[in-house]
Amino acid sequence: MANNLSKTQIDKLGDRVRKGDITEADLRLLDEYRRSFSDAYEFVIEEIRSRLELEPTGRPAKSTSSIREKLLRESIRLSQVQDIAGCRQVVQSVAAQESALESLRSLFTNLTVVDRRRRPSHGYRAVHLIVKHSGKLVEIQLRTTLQHMWAEFSEKLSDVFDPAIKYGGGDAATAQLLLDLSALLARAEKEETALMSMEQQVSELLSRGTRSEVRRKKLIDVEREIRELKKEQIQISEDALAMLHTLIDSLPKKKRRT
Amino acid sequence: MWFLIEYNRQQGEVVTLKRFKENERSKAENSRLELELELNRAGGEHEVVLLQAASEVSLRRTHRRYFEDLLELAS
Repeated sequence: MANNLSKTQIDKLGDRVRKGDITEADLRLLDEYRRSFSDAYEFVIEEIRSRLELEPTGRPAKSTSSIREKLLRESIRLSQVQDIAGCRQVVQSVAAQESALESLRSLFTNLTVVDRRRRPSHGYRAVHLIVKHSGKLVEIQLRTTLQHMWAEFSEKLSDVFDPAIKYGGGDAATAQLLLDLSALLARAEKEETALMSMEQQVSELLSRGTRSEVRRKKLIDVEREIRELKKEQIQISEDALAMLHTLIDSLPKKKRRT
Repeated sequence: MWFLIEYNRQQGEVVTLKRFKENERSKAENSRLELELELNRAGGEHEVVLLQAASEVSLRRTHRRYFEDLLELAS
């Protein structure tokens, strides 16, 4: 759908949305603006589905409440919001995330990658890709299962406890626990990658046979390292679970089951 | 499939969930607007979002926070 709104109209609408006094006419206008991303959204979703055989969950239009929060939080104009339309893909591991990232880089030419694994945003880790198509931006969120678990937990905590939590505000102890948990999960993913590389080494060594004494010794060493890493992974899982429960226990009881 | 979700953030609960077929995008978008207008008239502050997923299982996996409580998310 074509967008007949001028940039000035869009930004003035954004100012009214930011103030929170939204009329019925404003909601219709906002709807029209969001629908103007339809073609770009469909292009991105269809490309990912048909060419990469992934099944992202699409969100053709950001919710009014999320737009308002973003405008309040970031002091930007509505026409500058980059994630009006988007989608989310969750993959099992960092290796799968890297592979999907490379595929997406090859698939879209007009693309910006924001790697929040290297520079987390208040503990949030993921890869975001912003695709520009026909002058419109569409955001692809690419998360591993662990990154996703942290993000959903943090967002739920913000929903039911304090909206500031998601962006590093609110209760300082809660914010710190979330940061610690994020760092712990980052470590878990680093070790998971190391483990995969070692398992690959083992299968390579095995494929070359175990008659050589040097190879046999190497195999024993790598297998020992794998065992150590697996033990560490179990410890990290236990620590992460303990952190999550410390967080939940610090909440008022009635909020834990919401 | 399209899923229209009305979510009460403070309660952390889905209020309504409507399902639309893959070819009913326009109908789903119109329903989203109607719901937003209705809530605006009533002074409600629920989040209204339209999502497209291969199945409800996929939706519940990529958007866990709408459907699970903190204890479930932590498990």
